[in-house]
Amino acid sequence: MAKQPKTAMTRALQRRENIAGYLFMLPSLIFFLGFVVFPMFACVLISLTDANMISEGMLGNFVGLDNFIKLFQDKEFLEALKNTFIIVVVSVPTVCAFSLWVGSAIYKLKGPVLSAFRCIFYLPVVTGSVAVTVVWQWMYNNYYGIFNQVLGPKGLGLIQGRINWLGDERFALWCIILILFTTSVGQPIVLYVSALGNVDQTLVEAAQVDGATDFQVFWKVKWAQMMPTTLYILVITTINSFQCFALIQLLTKGGAGTNTVMYHIYYTAFKLTERAGHFGYANAMGVVLAIFIGILSAVQFKLAKEK
Amino acid sequence: MKTIRKALALVLALCIVLSLAACGSQGSNESKAPDPTKEPDQTQTQSPETPPAGDEVAKEITIWIYPVGGWSDEKNVKPLLDKFTADTGIAVKYEFLAYADGDDKVNTSFTSGGTPDLIMEGPERLVVNWGAKGKMVDLTDMIDATDKSELNEAALAACTSPDGKVLEYPMFITAHCMAINLDAFKEAGADQYIDLETRTWSTENFFKAVDALYAKYNDTVAAVFCKGQGGDQGTRALINNLYGGKFTNADHSQYTWDDPNNIKALEALKEKDGKGIAFDASLEGGDELKLLYQDVLKMAFCWNVAQQLDPASQHGDPGKTMGGSEIVCMNFPTESGKAAELCGGIWGLGIFDNGDPARIAASKQFIKYMCDSENAADAAKISNFFSARSAAEGTDLSNIFADNDIMNEYNKIFLPSLGEYYNVVPGWAQARTSWWNMLQKIGTGEPIADTVATYMAEANAAAAG
Repeated sequence: MAKQPKTAMTRALQRRENIAGYLFMLPSLIFFLGFVVFPMFACVLISLTDANMISEGMLGNFVGLDNFIKLFQDKEFLEALKNTFIIVVVSVPTVCAFSLWVGSAIYKLKGPVLSAFRCIFYLPVVTGSVAVTVVWQWMYNNYYGIFNQVLGPKGLGLIQGRINWLGDERFALWCIILILFTTSVGQPIVLYVSALGNVDQTLVEAAQVDGATDFQVFWKVKWAQMMPTTLYILVITTINSFQCFALIQLLTKGGAGTNTVMYHIYYTAFKLTERAGHFGYANAMGVVLAIFIGILSAVQFKLAKEK
Repeated sequence: MKTIRKALALVLALCIVLSLAACGSQGSNESKAPDPTKEPDQTQTQSPETPPAGDEVAKEITIWIYPVGGWSDEKNVKPLLDKFTADTGIAVKYEFLAYADGDDKVNTSFTSGGTPDLIMEGPERLVVNWGAKGKMVDLTDMIDATDKSELNEAALAACTSPDGKVLEYPMFITAHCMAINLDAFKEAGADQYIDLETRTWSTENFFKAVDALYAKYNDTVAAVFCKGQGGDQGTRALINNLYGGKFTNADHSQYTWDDPNNIKALEALKEKDGKGIAFDASLEGGDELKLLYQDVLKMAFCWNVAQQLDPASQHGDPGKTMGGSEIVCMNFPTESGKAAELCGGIWGLGIFDNGDPARIAASKQFIKYMCDSENAADAAKISNFFSARSAAEGTDLSNIFADNDIMNEYNKIFLPSLGEYYNVVPGWAQARTSWWNMLQKIGTGEPIADTVATYMAEANAAAAG
C-alpha cells in the first residue's frame, strides 16, 4: 500500500496530539524536575560547601572535597556504612532467594489459593510502614513483647530471662533486617509468580524431552528467561536496603549498633545543627551513598547481561 | 475526545499546582481574628497591652509551641490566645511542635522560609542554639528593674546570652525529680529506705531499695534509659546526685562527666545491671514513664509535677499507675541522704528575628501580655508549672496554685532543691547525643572510665565550637 503524503491537516493533528501528550506529562514532569532532578544537582553542589541550614541562604562557602575526605575519617559514618552494607548483603540475597522459592512453589496453584498466597505475602507491602513497625516494636518489646514471652521460661524455655531485642547490639540490627525482609518479599514474590507463569512452555517441554532433569530445566531454561525480572528485583531490593530509614528512626534512632547511612544523613542534617557545615557534610554522605548504589546496580546489570 | 483529554490535562496540572500551594498553609491554627467591620472596644484600646501610638504593629503573628506542660493542649491554649486577640486586635496563628521533629521544622524554616514570629521552649534551644546563631531578637528592653526583681534570678540568667542579651523571656520553671511506685515499695519492704516526709533517701538506701524490689519481683525495677535524648535530664540527675558529681564546670563552658563521683555512680549502677537495674537502649524517658504506669518498672527517673497532675497520661487517675498503685515524687538519692540538686526546667518565649519591625512589635506585645500582666497567672497555670516570676504588674504569682495540694507540696519540697541550670553550655545538642551513646556503650560492658572520656571529649569538642 502506498504511503500517504502528510498533509497540513495531519501535521496539525499530530501537533495537537503532541501538545495534549505533553500536558498529560506536565504534572509528573513538574514533580520529577522539582523533587528529583533539582535536589540531585543541589545535593552534589551543596556537598562541596560548608552549608549550614541556620546560615542565610542555602549555600555556604566552597570547601572542595573536604567533606568527602572528612567522611572517610569519621568513625560514625564508617560504622553506619558498615551497618548499611550488612543490611544489603544479608537482605538482598535472602529476599531474592526466598521470593523465588515461594514463587516457584505457588505459581502452579490456581484460583483463590494462589490469590490467598499472593495476598498474604503482599500484605506487609501495602500496610503502612509505621503501622507495621509499631506492631513489630511491640513484639520485640523487652518487657512485655511476644517474642520474650514465647521464647522465655514461661513459653518454650529457649531463653533464660529476657532478650532486649532492640536495645542489645548483638540483636538489634538483625531484628531490623528481619522486619525489612518481611516487608520486602511481597513484591518479588508476585513478580516471580508472574515471570514463572510466562516462561515459554515449549522450551521447557523440549528440554524435558531431551532428558533434562528438573534442576537443569530450572537453571538452563526458566532461570534464563526470568533474568530481566531477577535483575529488576535485585536492583529494587538493593536500593530499598540502602535506603532503610523509617525502621531505624522508629525503632532504635540509630542506637544499639543500628546506625545506617540514611539515618546518619538525616541525623547530621537536621539534628546536629550546632555543628558547623553540617548540611554540606550530610549532602556529601548522600552523594557517597548514591555512588555506592550506582556502582552496585551497574555491577548487577553487567552480571545479569552476561548471564 | 481530544478536547476532553486536553481539559483533563489542564485540570490535572491545576490540581498539582493547587495542592502544592495548599501545602504551605497546612497544619496551622488561628485564634479568632477580630471582625474588621466592628469598632474596637474602647476599653481595650486603652489597655496597657496596646502599644504607644505611632508604632506599627502587625495584625497577625505566628507562634510555634513545643509540648511544655499544659501548653501542648489546644483546649488550654486557645482560650488564652483568643483573649489576647480580643484584647489587642492581633490574631495569633499557632502550631504545636513535637520534640521528635520540632527542631527539624524550625531549622528547615530558616532556609525554606516560614519561620514563626514566636517560639515557646527553653534556653537550651532559644539561647544556646538559635540565639547563638543570631536568630533571636534581643528582649533586654522588655526587662526593667522591677521585672528583674520579680523574675527568678536563675531563670533570667539562663535566658541571657554570654554577651548580656536577654534572648528568651522566662515564663515558667519547674524542678525535675523522680517517682516511685509507693505500693510496690511497701510490698517489697523497701519503703523503710525512703523518708516520705522530706522525699529524700541516701544512695546506700537507694541500692538497698533496688535489692529489696528485685528480690520481691525478680525483674528490672528501674531503667537507665538510653535509646535517645528524650527525658535524659533524669539519667543525668541520677548519675550526678548519687555521689555528688558534676555535669559541667562552674562557668558552664565545659562538660565534666569524668568527675570521679560520676564514674563511681556509673560503676555502682552498672554493678546492679541485670539485678534490678537495666541500662536499656530500647527506652527513652517517655517509654520509661509508660512502664511505670503499667506497673512494670517500680521507679522512674524522668518525672516532674506536670506528670503527677496529668490525668491523661495516667489513664484518668493522676498520681496512680494502671493497677491503682500510688505514684510518689521523690528526690534523687544522694550520698548524704539530703535533698538532691534537681535539674531545672525553664521555659519561655523568644522572638525570631524575621526583619519585620511590625511583627516584632506585635510579638513583644504578646510576650508582655502572657508574661508580665495580670494574664501571666493564667498563662502559668495552664502549664502546670510554676511562674518564673513572683509578681507581674501588681498580680501576685508566687501562690497561683494555692488551691492545689500537690502543687503546694511540690513547691515546698522540690523547688528549693532546684540546682544550677547547666543546659547553656555550647554544643548542647551534640552533648545530649554523646550522653545517651555513652550510656549505651556502658550498658554493653565497655570500660566505664574510657567510655566516659571518649564521649565527654566529643561533647567538649562541640562545646569548643
